[in-house]
Amino acid sequence: MSGAARVQEHATCLGCGCTCDDIAVVIEGGRITDARNACALGLRWFGDGSLPGAVLGGRSSAIEDALSEIATVMRSARAPLVFLAPDLTSEAQRAAIAVADQLRAFVDSATSTTASEGILAAQRRGRASATLGEIRNRADVIVFWAVDPRLTYPRLQSRYAPDPVGVHVPKGRGGRTVIAVDVGAQRGPDDADVRIQMTAQDEKLFIASLRASLGGRTVGDPPIVARVNELAGRLTRAKYAVIVTDAESPPDVPSMRADALIALTQSLNATTRGSLCTLRAGGNRNGADTTLTWQTGFPMAVDFSRGVPRYTPEDATLARLRRGAVDAALVVGSSGALPPAVAAALEGVRTIVIGPRASESALDATIRIDTGVAGIHESGIAFRTDDVPLPLRALLPTPRDTASLLRALGTAIAASRGDA
Amino acid sequence: MTRLRITGGAIHDPANGIDGDVRDICVDGGRIVATLPADAPVLRADGMVIMAGGIDIHAHVAAASVTLGRRLLPEEHALDPAAAPELADGTIPRSGTGGTVPSTFTTGYRYAGLGYTTVFDAAVAPASARQTHAEFDDTPIIDGGFFALLGNDEYLHRQIAAKELGRAKDYAAWILKSTGAYAIKLVNPGGIELWKRNVREVKTLDDPVGTANVTPRKILEVLADAAIKLGLPHPVHIHCNNLGVAGNVATTLESMRALDGRRAHFTHLQFHSYGGERGKSWSSAARQVAEYVNGHPEVTGDVGQVMFGDATTLTADGAVEYLLHTSTGRKWVNADIELETGCGIVPYTYKDKAAVAALQWVVGLELFLLSADPWRMVLSTDHPNGGSFMSYPVLIRLLMDRAYRDEKLKSVNQKMLAGSALADGIAREYSLNEIAIITRAGPARQLGLKHKGHLGVGADADITIYSRDADYAKMFSTPRYVLKGGTLVVEEGQLRRAPAGKRIYVQPGYDNGLLRDLGKHFEKYSSIQLANFPVTGLRDAPIATGGR
Repeated sequence: MSGAARVQEHATCLGCGCTCDDIAVVIEGGRITDARNACALGLRWFGDGSLPGAVLGGRSSAIEDALSEIATVMRSARAPLVFLAPDLTSEAQRAAIAVADQLRAFVDSATSTTASEGILAAQRRGRASATLGEIRNRADVIVFWAVDPRLTYPRLQSRYAPDPVGVHVPKGRGGRTVIAVDVGAQRGPDDADVRIQMTAQDEKLFIASLRASLGGRTVGDPPIVARVNELAGRLTRAKYAVIVTDAESPPDVPSMRADALIALTQSLNATTRGSLCTLRAGGNRNGADTTLTWQTGFPMAVDFSRGVPRYTPEDATLARLRRGAVDAALVVGSSGALPPAVAAALEGVRTIVIGPRASESALDATIRIDTGVAGIHESGIAFRTDDVPLPLRALLPTPRDTASLLRALGTAIAASRGDA
Repeated sequence: MTRLRITGGAIHDPANGIDGDVRDICVDGGRIVATLPADAPVLRADGMVIMAGGIDIHAHVAAASVTLGRRLLPEEHALDPAAAPELADGTIPRSGTGGTVPSTFTTGYRYAGLGYTTVFDAAVAPASARQTHAEFDDTPIIDGGFFALLGNDEYLHRQIAAKELGRAKDYAAWILKSTGAYAIKLVNPGGIELWKRNVREVKTLDDPVGTANVTPRKILEVLADAAIKLGLPHPVHIHCNNLGVAGNVATTLESMRALDGRRAHFTHLQFHSYGGERGKSWSSAARQVAEYVNGHPEVTGDVGQVMFGDATTLTADGAVEYLLHTSTGRKWVNADIELETGCGIVPYTYKDKAAVAALQWVVGLELFLLSADPWRMVLSTDHPNGGSFMSYPVLIRLLMDRAYRDEKLKSVNQKMLAGSALADGIAREYSLNEIAIITRAGPARQLGLKHKGHLGVGADADITIYSRDADYAKMFSTPRYVLKGGTLVVEEGQLRRAPAGKRIYVQPGYDNGLLRDLGKHFEKYSSIQLANFPVTGLRDAPIATGGR
């Protein structure tokens, strides 16, 4: 392919949960040659846009044959798994959940492996949250709790907060107090105005003491109480305080962090306004949670085996794979983006991959169908880390569209049941 | 699509002045037609009651906020699993879960199972509109539309502050057009922005929102005028300030007076019709509100009835939900949405032995029973806030069956009911035609939907056929047949087909000059690129507006 360079403005990047939608992607000769405004993660996400387009492992390379074979394999499985890799459009996610429903399969995403603690805590307590733009426009105190966004969410600070000006923060960074909470090796940003440090072992006590302090009580030894009171004072004096935490990076020592930070930010609202900002990694992870929720009522770990959705977060993908409770797995999306523990646990399970670079997958998959990448070859919706839905545009032609393929698989499954 | 002659049923089609006459209805090509060839298939409805498909003017079914609510309620969903129906039309049926906030497919199936064929989501943050469209795509059978939240919008407030009212109107049009919405919604005008600033109470309609030029009153006026000037089919849809607060009737009446002769729809008025005094006492003020509405033909409303049992309070009105969270101790979601609005969610149970819940129940019924014109005071529970849409049949029985109602009234907490009209005795019983008005013809008229809510030639063939039953709750909970757009979706009380619903929206025009200024605003304050804000690929044709 050849041709003059063209630029697709306002492209959406799924390199991390920031889901920046201001990327100008330069395309030359059918390849991505630049992604302006993108950070290092974004440049890696877009790559050059080249993809294989194979159909491997079926009776033939005809897609119809492959789909009918997948239908047969998955239909005959006793305990099938449909696994949503992180990098799917929400259209593909919805179609994959439909297939799981039809198959009476177990359906799950990376969320149950990497970020379930916060989801479960929010189901117990609710949560006080805000969109990233709300934080940009309003937050005068921002606490980075054991997360330095520069490494894993590189544009968070420059694009959302604390750097830009906001409606109620006209001076931008200068109008905000940034507090780094370092928990053991999990450090906050280097350029914070205030730094509060604790060992990983001390986090649980620190949080308990902080919550007590907001309630007017004192818990803990003087060295902790001094730090706690400083932080509590800054939070309660704030007009709009935000605590930023990384859902993908659990504490090194169990501390109930996710639960405690929810409770903490909720309780701030007794006297001022406060929100928790929970960061999710790349792809469309919130989209998996969101579409699963609207279709089934549950955000992850949904078991259709009894013909209705059942929520089994205590017995999610990893647990099921490890105890040998899955006999066929349909992985949808990039198998290279699976949580490593899930990829390892799939060993020995009859596996099918429908996703970008499926033909090159390191998984021992019997049938492999290459598709495009969400937001590069496939259009649709992705949900930002704060649940804001953003459009994905196809910048390059897709070998085949994942959502359409999955809908065709649904038809093939219905045909194999004789009920189409 | 079905060609069908429906014979033998008693037609309740108040929009066309038909009250129980037995005559044929002919359906072809998804619409009602005047005649069919003699050999057309016949559906015998002898002895049955025929109405247009139900229309829910105000519910929360397809929105980011609704899905936050779904996510909060795994325990409810676990208790109400919903198996996939057995469908005869080749569409692949879907399982789901129910509870007060059912999953999308289950929502569509259950509404259709009640004979409802059109539902509006009453509160969508414009930035999340594409999620609403996607959720409606997963909500089968029902035609869906939504109202876009504008009462706490930063850009709108800036135009009001600068007295740029033309631009405010253009902006409202741009929001509706770019999100594929149907109407302008105000929730606690100015009050959500104040909540974000930690100001938790709107004392008067003249409280400043940042600047003295922007007040709840001004926001009400500007958006009511915008809806009128844009020729929108539905006027501005208003959730007043001070929802759920004792004594809030003063705010509600003041809001109505503020609009002074302009067309306006006041929603879930039950939650806004309380006498007494904040923190001290409660009483019913339904009579005052009903009297105001009775005397002002430009005003319409829906009730927002409270039904005893589980509910989920789910609203853009975040400050209210914080109060509910602290007073009940139940779990709480708050989501502040940049430049636009907020969201709060708290699960709630209305107990008939609780004094305030009993009062709320009474206030709602009084609004129904004291309203002189059913066309202008229609049925809603503000699903799932006052109760689930699944409780509509029981609500209908409460309106139609005085003996049943009086018996229920005796069993509820009486503490706050002294002097209430219902406690004093109201004899009124709704007729079948009045039920047809408050559940279909009235909402259609309020919404400006000419092709819905009636059974005249040219109307959408959305038709519900009930077997008569002395127990009206039973009668209305299990229609014998339901047609949606000419397709027989319920047959012999069973859901058999689940075609995709249509989208109902408007595309008003605006002065393109708006976009330059708006572009600067987005550049400076929004986390979303202006070019990525509009929802693209809307399906179905928009409803016409008469904009000037």
